[in-house]
Amino acid sequence: MSDSLATVRSVANRRSRRNSSAGRQPGRDGAAGTRKRTFTAAAYTVMALVVVLTIYPMIWMVFGAFKSTGEFYTNIWGWPHDFSWSNLSQAWDQAGLGRKFLNSIIVTGGTLLLVIPFCSMAGYSFAKIWYPGRRWLYYFVLLGIMIPFGVTAIPTLTVTLQFHVFDTLQGLILVYTAQNISFGTFLMYAFFSSIPDELIEAAQADGCSRFSAFWKIVMPLARPGLATLLIFIGTSIWNEYFMASVLIHQNSLETLPLGLVVFTTQHSTDYPELFAALTIVTAPMVAVYLVAQRQFISGLTAGALKG
Amino acid sequence: MTAVRDNILAGMARAPARAWRRRPGPSQRHRTYLFGLAMIAPALTIYVVFVIYPLIRGAIVSLYQWNGLTPTTTWMGLRNYTNALQDPIFLLALRNTFQYAIGVTIAKNVLGLGLALLLNQKLRFRAFFRTAAFLPVMFAFVVVGVLWSWIYNPLFGLADHVLAFVGIHNPPGWLSDPKLALWSVMWVDVWKWTGFHMVLFLAALQAVPQELYDAADIDGARTWARLRHVTIPTIRPVIALSVLLSLTGAFVANYDVVYVMTGGGPLNSTQVALTYIVQTTFTGDQVGYANAMSMILLVLVAIVGAVQLRFMVGRQEPARV
Repeated sequence: MSDSLATVRSVANRRSRRNSSAGRQPGRDGAAGTRKRTFTAAAYTVMALVVVLTIYPMIWMVFGAFKSTGEFYTNIWGWPHDFSWSNLSQAWDQAGLGRKFLNSIIVTGGTLLLVIPFCSMAGYSFAKIWYPGRRWLYYFVLLGIMIPFGVTAIPTLTVTLQFHVFDTLQGLILVYTAQNISFGTFLMYAFFSSIPDELIEAAQADGCSRFSAFWKIVMPLARPGLATLLIFIGTSIWNEYFMASVLIHQNSLETLPLGLVVFTTQHSTDYPELFAALTIVTAPMVAVYLVAQRQFISGLTAGALKG
Repeated sequence: MTAVRDNILAGMARAPARAWRRRPGPSQRHRTYLFGLAMIAPALTIYVVFVIYPLIRGAIVSLYQWNGLTPTTTWMGLRNYTNALQDPIFLLALRNTFQYAIGVTIAKNVLGLGLALLLNQKLRFRAFFRTAAFLPVMFAFVVVGVLWSWIYNPLFGLADHVLAFVGIHNPPGWLSDPKLALWSVMWVDVWKWTGFHMVLFLAALQAVPQELYDAADIDGARTWARLRHVTIPTIRPVIALSVLLSLTGAFVANYDVVYVMTGGGPLNSTQVALTYIVQTTFTGDQVGYANAMSMILLVLVAIVGAVQLRFMVGRQEPARV
């Protein structure tokens, strides 16, 4: 976290330095100044347009959730006049959203509980422990990044059948964990690589065992990496639909994205209620994002920016 | 899943050094070996069981006819593959997949880069804008798909209403016209991801050293020349990365949005490879056939990824932003 904040801050400093140096040079002529002003005006216009295009559909969704069925078809893009709060509670009950929230929390939490220690250990093994065959194992695990999981979904289904975890939350957790091992391991590998070997050697000289040097000395230093891992994998699993739709078939085990799709296809008449369901499902995500947007933006773009 | 793939590059750039660079004593070395393997064992086990094994199994199953449930299978050899390559719907689905992937890649990157260039100046509300533009990235594709299928709805949808507002009273059938439906779905993908690419490009632009621009100014470079000779070459690795992310992503990440919005219809006009594969799996005796199609898709994605890497990153040093 602190690392990403520092990055943001240093970018901001660099930017302000650049702006001040640009400010010292007076505009070369009037035409250039005019062009610059036109450019700025264009930028604001485009910005406003993009904001409307991005935000308005969501506002429309929230408005729709509060409209009565009659108003829904007549007042299409405006503010709801007679707020019908009952849409929200009906949608919650009809779609069984409580259960689905719980399932999503179990699956996301369970996967993170496995992915984070497994990937940290594997990344540490690649970065800081010297043994033969390490490079080959590294490339073998790297392979997983290049496999599009959509392609292996059907054989994965047969494998879960074979291990008797088909149509269970445990099965979904195991598959999600496996599919995120490659990414997580490389992320943690990158973080551990930047930690000096001397630190681990010193810890071991002071009597730390191999494992406690990793767990007590190195892991606390890798917190920015863990935060990125948590945000990236957490978000993608919370939103995952495809594997869930292949592996989960019982109504009571549906995760939120899956439940939402099933609900919208089954009750495709009472639109205000469907809008309410969609609003309820997106609200927590928006809230978490607004609170920690910096971490989310840097977490989700981290891989690219670190390259 | 995008950031997963950008780490291909990051990972390749810095593979671990060969072992035995330093040599501790023999018994120590043995213990270190065991410790290293023990640390990697949990990750490796679950990865092999649920990623590698299904991949191999899929390759094997693709050679049989199988209903997916009973143990009886019929040997097909490569006939599943030859059938797939003669299946008109599969070929249409592949064509659509390519159109989808290439179309959204161009749109996301052109729009993302254009916005980033426009915004890479001192502007008020820029932080707010960044937050807003990145918001759709947070949403599940199914959420975005459901929302946009309502926006396209002819009865109460926002799209037709906006058109009526500007005086167009015979709106197109966004999702019902076979000629238009795929483009409508592609737009939703562009809508969701452009903010992500813009943030990537913006970060890259801000890291271009001011000295380069100063030097260009001394040489009398105008806006266009600065863009062509300074900005674009400097951020080229990030452009390559961004194109690669969207291209490989669009090949396989389109299932959710297509399934939710059109289910592949009307008349298979939005059928992409994955929707057709999944549909085939759950109809009768065709699990082997679906696996064969999966393998074809896997090979295509791998080829596209390799060509991309070669063309755009191969001559370039690794991205540093």
